[in-house]
Amino acid sequence: MEWRLLPLRVDDAFMSMAIDEAVLKLNAEGKSPNTIRFWRWLPSAVSIGCFQSVEREVDLGVAKKYGVDVVRRITGGGAVFHDYGGELTYSVVCRQEDVPADIIESYKLICGGLVRGFEQLGLRAEFKPVNDVQVNGKKISGSAQTRRWGSVLQHGTVLISPDVRRMFELLKVSPEKISDKFIAFVFERVTTVERELGRKPSFEDVREAMSRGFEESLGVRLFEGQLTREELEFAAELKSKYSSDKWLRKR
Amino acid sequence: MGYAEFKAPKGVIKVELELSDDKISRISLSGDFFMYPEEAIEELERALEGVEARKEALLVAVRDFYSLSGAQTPMVEPEHWVEAILRAVGG
Repeated sequence: MEWRLLPLRVDDAFMSMAIDEAVLKLNAEGKSPNTIRFWRWLPSAVSIGCFQSVEREVDLGVAKKYGVDVVRRITGGGAVFHDYGGELTYSVVCRQEDVPADIIESYKLICGGLVRGFEQLGLRAEFKPVNDVQVNGKKISGSAQTRRWGSVLQHGTVLISPDVRRMFELLKVSPEKISDKFIAFVFERVTTVERELGRKPSFEDVREAMSRGFEESLGVRLFEGQLTREELEFAAELKSKYSSDKWLRKR
Repeated sequence: MGYAEFKAPKGVIKVELELSDDKISRISLSGDFFMYPEEAIEELERALEGVEARKEALLVAVRDFYSLSGAQTPMVEPEHWVEAILRAVGG
């Protein structure tokens, strides 16, 4: 089977989330092929899970100060700081019948692409249920999935060299936690490609490795394709939802 | 009004609620858990309204919600919601 691979994109948070939903919906309607996309967030942004309360999770004053966008995802899970300079984000959209019906098994299959991608980069990685990939026992990637209209969207992070200190300023962890001691604790739990490799690979190199990883893990061949006019127009429509205060403060 | 947080094996459940005559009159659930389908969260909140804020009654309501909705919450069990709610009642 052939799946579409989109070129590396750089979009703002609202457009990125809108593209995910547009491709998911159109895939379910049989109008978009199964698709893999990699992108970066410009400006850097915080995304919150669809069940989270933005006031409880994000310091909106700090976000404003740094010009960081804040967006609610349609997927569950936690708040994530997406650093333009330090994270590659992926999304996979496919028909539900192309992945296992069992949710954890489907995470395992798709995260398996990342595991193989990290191996391509020279790192030994493993899937950690429900939705993480670890290297040396530390989290290096987190994912979130939703299933709608008969299709599956899974998106997630590849941590290359994110600014962890900035992350803790933006996310509402209790003030005493933003200490050197706590940050040292986080460094024991979370790692990055730069830290594990001892060098920072280019975003294109990581994208290339992950693409090969997905091909192997999913057993598909990727062909380079663009977003269609229909997808872009639908995404532009959905973008206003994602940038609205009503959506952001839904919970 | 009560508020509490409870860490389930996968995800923190945050509960904000109001009681009237020992029954839940309003409840809002949030957190970093997963629920499929996502819309079921509103069904769970509705299922809890009017329920007596005691362990047994809450557990019945939450279990019925899972049966009726078919919702899935990996590594979050009915007991975890109930524990989070009881903490909010106490807080």
